[in-house]
Order: sequence, then C-alpha cells, then structure tokens
Amino acid sequence: MLIYRSLIGLLTLLLVSILVFAATQTLPGNAASAVLLNTATPQRLHALEVQLGLNKPAVEQYWTWLTGILHGNFGKSLANGTSVGTLVGGRILNSLVLVVLAGAIGTLIGVGLGVLAAARRDSVFDHVLSVTALAVTALPEFVVAVVLIIFFAAVVWHLFPAVSVFVPGTAPWSNPKELVLPVATLVIVVVPYVFRMMRASMIDALESDYVQMARLKGMPKWRVLLVHALPNAIAPTIQVIGLSFLYLAGGVVVVEYMFNYPGLGQALVSAVSDRDIPVIQFIVLVLAAFYIVVNILTDVISLAASPRRRLPRS
Amino acid sequence: MPGKEMRVSRRDFLKTGLTLGAAGAGGLLGGGLLSGCGTGNTVKAFTASTAGKPRMGGTLRAGLTGGSSADTLDPLNAITNVDFSRIDNLYEPLIGLNPDAQPIFVLATELTPNAKATEWTLRIARGITFHNGKDLTADDVIYTFRQILNPKAPAAAAAGLASIDAKNMTKLDQYTVKIPCSTPFATLHQALAIPGYSDIIPVGFNPAAPVGTGPFRLKSFSPGTQSVFVRYANYWQPGRPYLDEIVITDYSDQTSQVNALLAGQVDVVNLLSEDVISEVQGEGKNVLVSAGGGWNPFTMRVDTGTFSDVRIRQAMRLVVDRQQMLDLVFGGYGTLGNDLFGIWAPEYDHSLPQREQDIDQAKSLLKAAGAEGLHVQLVTSDIAQGTVLAAQVLAQQASAAGISVSVNDVTVNDFYGTNYLKWQFAQDYWFYNFYLPQVSLATLPTASFNETHWDNSRYNSLYHQAIATVDDSLRTELAHEMQQIEYDEGGYIIPFFPPVIDGYATNVGGLVPSKIGLSLNAYDFKNVWLS
Repeated sequence: MLIYRSLIGLLTLLLVSILVFAATQTLPGNAASAVLLNTATPQRLHALEVQLGLNKPAVEQYWTWLTGILHGNFGKSLANGTSVGTLVGGRILNSLVLVVLAGAIGTLIGVGLGVLAAARRDSVFDHVLSVTALAVTALPEFVVAVVLIIFFAAVVWHLFPAVSVFVPGTAPWSNPKELVLPVATLVIVVVPYVFRMMRASMIDALESDYVQMARLKGMPKWRVLLVHALPNAIAPTIQVIGLSFLYLAGGVVVVEYMFNYPGLGQALVSAVSDRDIPVIQFIVLVLAAFYIVVNILTDVISLAASPRRRLPRS
Repeated sequence: MPGKEMRVSRRDFLKTGLTLGAAGAGGLLGGGLLSGCGTGNTVKAFTASTAGKPRMGGTLRAGLTGGSSADTLDPLNAITNVDFSRIDNLYEPLIGLNPDAQPIFVLATELTPNAKATEWTLRIARGITFHNGKDLTADDVIYTFRQILNPKAPAAAAAGLASIDAKNMTKLDQYTVKIPCSTPFATLHQALAIPGYSDIIPVGFNPAAPVGTGPFRLKSFSPGTQSVFVRYANYWQPGRPYLDEIVITDYSDQTSQVNALLAGQVDVVNLLSEDVISEVQGEGKNVLVSAGGGWNPFTMRVDTGTFSDVRIRQAMRLVVDRQQMLDLVFGGYGTLGNDLFGIWAPEYDHSLPQREQDIDQAKSLLKAAGAEGLHVQLVTSDIAQGTVLAAQVLAQQASAAGISVSVNDVTVNDFYGTNYLKWQFAQDYWFYNFYLPQVSLATLPTASFNETHWDNSRYNSLYHQAIATVDDSLRTELAHEMQQIEYDEGGYIIPFFPPVIDGYATNVGGLVPSKIGLSLNAYDFKNVWLS
C-alpha cells in the first residue's frame, strides 16, 4: 500500500509541476520585465530575455527544467542567478523547524488540555477553555502575531525580538530567541483545533461501556484516562493533527511575512512577484511533497492507532 | 565651465555636510535654492542629529524595505531600492550629489567640455585604490563606460548617456580621459551625478567578487536577505568611514521594519509612510524627513485619444488640489509640484506661477473641447509609495468638474508589462534627475521612456540648442522656454514631489536630510557614526 501511495504521490508531483508552470505562463510579464520594471528599454529587455532563455518556447523551457530535475539540477534563479538549491535550501530548514516545533508543541498542549477538559467535563475549567478556544479560532494569524509583538516585543515589554533576522547560513536553532514569537503565534492558532477534537473524542471514549467497566472495576482515575480512554480517542485526533501540519505549511507564509522570518513562504511570495519560475516550481514541489508525506504518515499512524481497521475487511 | 557647485572641493563639502548635520533640517531648508521658490514648501523641521560628536567604530544595522530576491551588487544594473544602499557604499561615481542635490566631484577632479560640448576632458584623482589594492586609473573609467554602453547588454544608465561615443574614448595619460560625444552633451556632469548608475568599476570587474573604491568593502551578500560590509582601511577620504561594519537586512514590509526599530534590532530604517511618524517618535526614535526630488507623475498620452486635445489636459491639471493631495497622501510632507520635473536642477523655472485648483476654468475648458461629463480610466499600481492613494484622490477631485475617473488598480507586473509606455492615462515614478537629462529620458521623441508620447517640434529644437550650450545661464534660458511649453501643454500632471521619510535610533549621528530623493542621503553611511 505504501509503495502504491508513494507512486501516486510522484505522479501528483509531476502534475503539480505542469500545472504551476502553466500558471506562471499566464501571469503578465516575465522575469526579465519583472527585474527591469521601469528601466526596461526594448534593448535591455531583449538582452536579458536571451540571457535567461525566456525567448524559447514554453514547452522547451519546461522540458529543460524537468530533465534538469531528473539529473538533480534544480536550475538557477532567474532573478539573481544563484542556484535554486543554495537559495532555498536553508529556507526549507528554517520553515521546517518552525512547522515541526509549532506542530509538536501545539499537539502536546492541545492533546493535554483536551484530555483534562474531558476529564473535568462541565467544570469551570472546561467552560473557560472551550470558550477561549472558540474565541481564538476566530482570530487570524496576523492578529495573533500583532498582539504578541505589541505585548512581548515592541511596545509593552521588550522580551523577544519583534522580527526574526538570522545571519544567513546559521541554523534556526542557534537563534532560539528569534523563534519564540513566530512559533508561539502558530501554536496559538493550532491548539484550539487539536484541543476541541481531543476533548470531543475523549468525551465519547469516557462514555463508552469499556470505560464504565474499567471504572466499576475500581481502577485509578489516571489509569482509566490514559490507558483505556486515550488510545481509543487519539485516532480521530491524529487526522486533525495531520490537518494542522498541512495548515501550518500554508499558515507559515503569513507568519513568516509578519516576522520577516527567512522561510519558504517569504521566498515564494518574492519569487512570484519576480516571475522567478525555477524558484516557484521548486518551492511548490517541496510544499506538495510535504502534503503528500504528511497525508501518508497520518493514514499510517491512524491505522496503527486503531487495531480494528488494521485487519482486512472480510 | 559647468555649474558653480562643481568647484566646491571635497574638503569643503565634508565641512558643509557636517555643519548641515549640526544645524539640522531648518538650516538646510533655509538654503538659497528654496528661498526663491514659490511652491510653498511644507516640510516640517526635525532635529537631524542628536548623537553628539563623531566617534569611530561600531556596527550599523540597517533594516531596509524595497529589496527582493532580485537584489544585486552589480553597480551598472541596480534594480531594487536596497541595491542603492549597497552600491552607494561599495562603489563611487566620478561625480556625486551633495545633500542639496547639486553635483560635486568624487573620483573626478576636473571635467571640462569643449566649446560645442562635443568632447569632455576628465581628470581623476590620484592615489585611489580599489578594494583589491589595484590603483584607479583612466583604463578603469574607459572600461566602465564601455560596459554601460555595451550595445549587446546596455546598462540602466545607457539611455541617459547615449550621446557618449564610448568606442572612441581615449586615455590621454594614466589619470586623464578624453570623452567624445556623438551629439553635443553639455549636461554630462549632471547625467553622471545621478547616484547608483555610473559608478566606476575596475577593468575585468567580476560581479561574483565585486570591488569598488567605496568606503566599505563586501563581506557577505545573500539576495533578498542580508548583506554585510566592512570598513575599507585604505579609503581615500581622511577620517572616513566612522563605522567598522554595516549590516543591511531586507524587510518585506514596513510593519516588521518599524517593529525592529522600536525593539532596538536595527538602527536605521528607510522609506516610511507618514502615518508611522508619530508612533516612531512616540517610542523615542528619530525621524528624518527629506524634501526629495523624485517625482510620481500622472501621465496623459498626448498623441492619441482623449488627451490629444490640449484643453482636456489643461482641465485635468486644473482639477487637482495639490495641497490637499499632498496632505492626504503624505500628511503634508513633501513639496508642491507645478507639472514640471527636475525641481532641484539649476535650470528649473521657479518663476512660473504655482498652478492651483480652478474648477470653473476646468469646466469651461471641457465645454470648449466638447467633453463635458468626460469619462476616463486611470491605470494605477502600487509602484511607489502613495501612488494608488494619489490616484483615488485625483478621481475624487476630478468629480467636482464633472469628470468621472475610474481607477484601475493593476499589479506591478501588469503595470510594467506589455502595456507599459502605452497606457492612455497612468502613473509612474522617477528618481531625481536634472532637468535636461530627464528630458532626454522622458520627453523627446527619441527618449526611452516617453510615456506621454510628447513630441513638440519647438520644444525639441530648444532641447537640441540647450544640450549644445556650455554656458550655464544661456542654457538655463533655453530650458525655461522649454518648461513654459510643458507648463502650458504638457502631458504630465506633477502634483507634488514626495518626501522621503526614514527612521533612526537616537545613537545614530551624521544623518542629514537630503534633496536627492533616496533614503538616508542616498545611503551615505560613510558619514554616519554611532555614539
């Protein structure tokens, strides 16, 4: 199954690359006019188009790019001539660290709070959490980011940097302070979804017969919660966690923009406005691959978490 | 001999610069050029420097917007605004601009035309070295011009320097060059002074390991992200630069840039809009407002369509309430325009009366043209600060005269795509340029960027006389006559010259307001210090 899914994944990537390339062809202007803007005399435009190979037919440009990819050559940026790998490589890591940290912390907090809220269902604690979660889901990322910046960076307290500026070439974890606010923003956005799903499925599990049974047997409360209810409640939550990761891959664009965080999202926005097709193609492929991998992983993990579905249906 | 300003020696200039720094904005704006100008200057004074005496050392962190992954270090093909911040510190031109936007010698020590302005003799300073240790000589100058004017890949400055016959440039000795011109070119000294386009590079320049003669040399550069420069120990100007290092970081927008300034992560920021001035000052940072000479015109095509009728163009110019537009778009900072460009050029005609809004006159012009209830489409785009807002204000103001302007807001790439220079009614932005060099780029039939399709035979012949006139006052007379024609019939609406607003921390010294129109006195970091 895994092999089959992977092959479908590769085919999806190919289709995505064709689709994206076709889309870039419909955009007005090209990399040469985007670079030269109002300094574009016909002579300069022509010289640059020839230099960048933009005067060749679109199909030939795509073919050159595709054969390059198959040889492990991702091409050169049309905007500044550096190779796409060097340009984007560090940014992939930066974004990945952001997504994984936010996803992991968000999942832990969301699952933890969900379990606690379900265990104390209808208590003040539960109500406060549920209402807060509902309110937070209504806040877009940029509002959360602005509030965090006002409180923790620029106006009230100056605890953390308001923008995340790395020295190019350094790993994101060597700049831990710069990570705090962007990660916090994403965590705040993700936690309510995980929390609400976890709480709901936990409540379902707690009302089931086997939990009743376990309680009647006189098991300690924590054991009922963690050993009997949680494993059965986690499967639907895994889907939501998977979705959260997928959401993070997109939501990271806004957060990177707000914090000037040097990640993929920022690079993609800039590449689109520069009509920098090789960079657009590469970043979109990376994001698509991330979606495919997370989808496959989510399915595998939720299969592993629900034994009943592991067996072939008879 | 060209303009008087040319005779100011480097040392005098440095002194002037420092005095101006101490006197602040008030001192600069009280200068001779403005006192005679009837345009009602509205720039408010700010203290330019609070950082005490110059001090050596330190790292200046600049957070700049306007860059992208198309950022380059190629001094002949600067693209983004942030490119100028790097290029102006890495390389140097033969002639530069002082904060009053007048030409001063930098690498040149003499530039003299012959009587017909068909040949110039250039002498360059001795003992100047590139960052790789190589001496600056006549060969480098000739090499640079041939690169700029390379017919196969013309540089950004090529359009403005097209009269130079680069092929026949000759070296008279190690430090002297003869510059022949294929057509008379009395304004070479002005055309060369526009920052960031004609900086001198050494023979065999390698863009991958760029060297110039500037006060800072390159340490690292990643496009769209960050670049680092360190002081060039053998820099020729005594006592400069003050700083050890500059770190220039690209910011994607003003919000994160201002946050970084307020949080103390950067020392200087560029290109702010007026609405953050109070926030920046409220948080104890400084604001530097400059009366830039850049201009953001509305462009009406005079050759076809609605605006080929001069009365309709005049009506459009009369519906604009320039002060209101400046108030709404730039909070009243900046300088009123009079539909003429090149405001700080010696040839600019300050004697023409300031054009005011006159709805009745506009209506009667429209009636005479049979164009009452005129409907036009204005193509706008976020190409420069405030362009879209200015378009909306214009549409609002025009409605008072019964003109309906529908504003079509397109993306920047659409704007500069295949229809660029063909729009009937649009906008554009220009950096500051002197009057005649600007004419050669924008208002001649041969100009590369004749967006109004302006072609007036009297005007053209005046230009050809002026460009062959070496005498400053005679040339100015001719230029005034050209401006009269543009003032009466031209296709531009130039409502104002936008201000340049920058922010900086209180420990940054040496920043002066400048009329050049690029941020931070054209990113003049060699005169900046940290206390």
